[in-house]
Amino acid sequence: MAETLHNLALGFGVALSPPVLLYAFVGCVVGTLVGVLPGVGPLAGISLLLPATFGLDATKAIVMLAGIYYGAMYGGSTTSILMRIPGEAASVMTCIDGYAMARKGRAGAALAIAAVGSYVAGTVSVIALMLLAPPLASFALRFGPPEYFALLALGLLVLAYMSSGSMLKALAMAALGLLLGMIGIDQMTGYFRFSYGIVELGDGIGVVPVAVGLFGLAEILATAGQPTPPEVAKPKLRELLPSRQEWRDSAWPIGRGTVLGFLIGIVPGSAHIISSFVSYAVERKLAKHPEEFGHGAVAGVAGPESANNSATSGAFVPMLALGVPSGPIPAVMLAAMMVHGVSPGPLLITQQPELFWGFIASMYVGNVVLLVLNLPLVGVFVNLLRVPYPILYPSILVFCILGVYAVNSSVVDVWIMLAMGGLGYVLRKLDFETAPIVLGVILAPMLEMALRQSLAMSDGRYAIFFARPISATLLVGGLALVLLSLRPLLTRTLDWRAKLALAEKGEDHP
Amino acid sequence: MLTTDRVAGGALALLALYTLWESRRLPLGSLRHPGPAYMPVVLALALLVFGVLLVLAGRRAPALAGVGFPEWRHAVAIFAACAFAALALERLGYRVSVALVLAFLLGVVERKGLVFVVTFSLALSLASFLLFDTLLRVPLPRGPFGL
Amino acid sequence: MTPTRIAALALSILLAAAAAPAQEPYPTRPITIVAPFPPGGVADLTARPVAAALEKVLKNPVGVVNKTGAAGAVGMQFVATSRADGYTLLLALSSISIIPEADKLFGRPPAFTVDQFAPIALISADPTVLVVPADKPWKTAREFIEEARRRPGQISFSSSGVYGTLHMAMELLSSAAGITLRHVPYGGAGPALTAILGGHVDALASGPAVVLPHIKSGKLRVLAGWGDKRVAALSEVPTFKELGYGEAEFYIWAGLFAPKGTPEPVLAKLRDATRAAVGETEFRTAMDKLETPIVFKQGEEFRLFFEADARRLAEGVRKVGRVDTK
Repeated sequence: MAETLHNLALGFGVALSPPVLLYAFVGCVVGTLVGVLPGVGPLAGISLLLPATFGLDATKAIVMLAGIYYGAMYGGSTTSILMRIPGEAASVMTCIDGYAMARKGRAGAALAIAAVGSYVAGTVSVIALMLLAPPLASFALRFGPPEYFALLALGLLVLAYMSSGSMLKALAMAALGLLLGMIGIDQMTGYFRFSYGIVELGDGIGVVPVAVGLFGLAEILATAGQPTPPEVAKPKLRELLPSRQEWRDSAWPIGRGTVLGFLIGIVPGSAHIISSFVSYAVERKLAKHPEEFGHGAVAGVAGPESANNSATSGAFVPMLALGVPSGPIPAVMLAAMMVHGVSPGPLLITQQPELFWGFIASMYVGNVVLLVLNLPLVGVFVNLLRVPYPILYPSILVFCILGVYAVNSSVVDVWIMLAMGGLGYVLRKLDFETAPIVLGVILAPMLEMALRQSLAMSDGRYAIFFARPISATLLVGGLALVLLSLRPLLTRTLDWRAKLALAEKGEDHP
Repeated sequence: MLTTDRVAGGALALLALYTLWESRRLPLGSLRHPGPAYMPVVLALALLVFGVLLVLAGRRAPALAGVGFPEWRHAVAIFAACAFAALALERLGYRVSVALVLAFLLGVVERKGLVFVVTFSLALSLASFLLFDTLLRVPLPRGPFGL
Repeated sequence: MTPTRIAALALSILLAAAAAPAQEPYPTRPITIVAPFPPGGVADLTARPVAAALEKVLKNPVGVVNKTGAAGAVGMQFVATSRADGYTLLLALSSISIIPEADKLFGRPPAFTVDQFAPIALISADPTVLVVPADKPWKTAREFIEEARRRPGQISFSSSGVYGTLHMAMELLSSAAGITLRHVPYGGAGPALTAILGGHVDALASGPAVVLPHIKSGKLRVLAGWGDKRVAALSEVPTFKELGYGEAEFYIWAGLFAPKGTPEPVLAKLRDATRAAVGETEFRTAMDKLETPIVFKQGEEFRLFFEADARRLAEGVRKVGRVDTK
């Protein structure tokens, strides 16, 4: 412990030196800019800007990249709340209640809660990362395909709690999303599925164009032409900050989101994206007034925003402790380290302590910088809502196109966004929710891959899922959840049948 | 009666059937060794069931006729502008395509003044290009004559 | 201006534009190197220093664009169908010869074919090495192969994806040694490494640089390499060639290509520039940091290397066949 503190002091010595601090600041600003751009989230942000750091020395480069990463995480929530455009896949859930809050004139409150939630989650998870990384990392590595499958199956259950409308409609949308997620090369056999000769569809349809299309573009299509433009309550200055009640309502969700996100985040793979979905479902389940969800529930912003921030630092656990690129973002960070001549791996901490601890310390510093940067920006961002919609929406549209294109330099992604925008518009008219589609698109390829990898490992024996302690525990837990949630459903169905029987009796004997 | 749920359910069921038909070309595999068509078929069957259930249970949903599309002109115009952008982006370059899209939406659809439309379209397309391509080095497409 | 003068002006501009390619000195505008993989991958990390060094040599801007998708097929197809004017180049990896072969296997129209490209130069070539978790009993490659013979289809390995580079390396070994291994594909080299570190599979063929730290820390054991020479950093590790499995030769290589039909003077200029670029100290330090050995070949030498490699890989793909027919 004393050693940790000493090392941390060393780290802060590095992180607080003026030049390094400057790069952290630049990283945060750039990250916020990139994060505000729809579609371009932390992963795309870091990847796109990685080359810009090639001229720097290792510590400054890593610190700047960490800043970009955190900045993009913070920035992602801004457009979700203000314009219902997910800045990245993890902000999809924020779109729902954050935007609803904005429509009620609580945009400032929602932004502030998102910023504070992200700050708390970021800081707490870095502390956890620092203290718990080595033991957690070896635990994380025990997550092979069977465990991953069990976790994702649990993620599917989340769907049942996600929708505020009918469960049947949510399930239908999820099935549609999962089916859309099947497009592309089958990674186990190399077959092209449903791609109709379009090579770009080989990697499947990306989450980014789907999310931006279903949420952002659909919103624009539906609202731009309304005879009376959407009445967004213009916030007054003193209403920018959350009320006491809103703070109280967001405290626990932030705490739960942080823990949940961190735990999901350490699992290798891309599971961190589902952390915000899981957090939303948990908050809805625990809420005293679940009916508020979808109509501007504070917890629906606080929980998922904290969870997604905490999850992505959780993803650094295996990377820092073991040098394992456990997810897409750590993989890019690892590459960045290699470019700068730092060989990542288990020996990093002992061989280059100033870099490792500087990185940890800069994560603390970055979070503070971002909070300081973002809270005043809340006022600026909220004022964007004063721009008349006929001028605002063409500009948003341009940024949607730019953001979606930039991720892969792919026009096909723009077409996908367009198609999804049309789909989202129609579904909205028919009163269907689109968030389950996004979750389905995310889950489908991972779930299928994990299932088939597990079966490849066991040569087709399903016992593998129950022979391994972690996956068995997860699956049994999931089963219990299903049974619990089926109980009211079953009783209700019986009621309905009983009623029908009664009605028929009534008809027989008038 | 046609209700929203019934229309949606029917469409989903049709999509599911289409997927099943398209999956015929891919090997199904077995339960122990699922092939490339396995998951799509399972999911399409699930979607089919949900779609049919929606049609059956959708009696009480709002009537389709009640769904208004008062904003369809705008929606079609925006949709077309986006499609144009997708077609033009790599042919005319980012700056030209975006300026044209903005000019169309602001000038033709929203009927703003000429001076405003021209200034705003040019300013936003050039400024966003400068910020993302030049400063942040996010490569954006250039058209003929390096525009 | 009168309409006729405008027309005359327009005509002259058009004529100038049409006539330009014939006498245009090369290069006069920015050159783009397409890296068909995401930033941070081998292709990207090689393309960027190459671009920087070329920029210096040619005194002309050279940029890198990541056109990703479909295991690299998107970017490669993009370059294959680009104008052959020397302004769009491709930094390809070994997979350039695998993808068309896999397309053939599935009877689908190929996204591109190898002969749509004109090779410029080979930049780097890194032989893969065979690693196993340190708690496995096999101390040498021979013990590993014997065990695999005793229990066919029981020893599992992870790969970067079906028909991916790491998969092909293992298949070349399997056919050279006459063994059958159980393939568990992952979505990329990173996850494949994570899988072996977590003990979920028994073996992995990997580039040396990424596994070196884990070999040093004692988590993984390295048994042999696929190169025709030993890996410098692992000089005590034999090659499969030394062990008598000559067909098990595999490199993760990176090379620069132009679309077929690029004028010969432009190609010559690019070859010279690349040779000079590879000699730049900055380029050498950049590649050093990545622990990627520079192996420069051009002209006939590169063509021979490329063809031999493509032949081995094509055979490998055919031998694996369609996964579902097994």
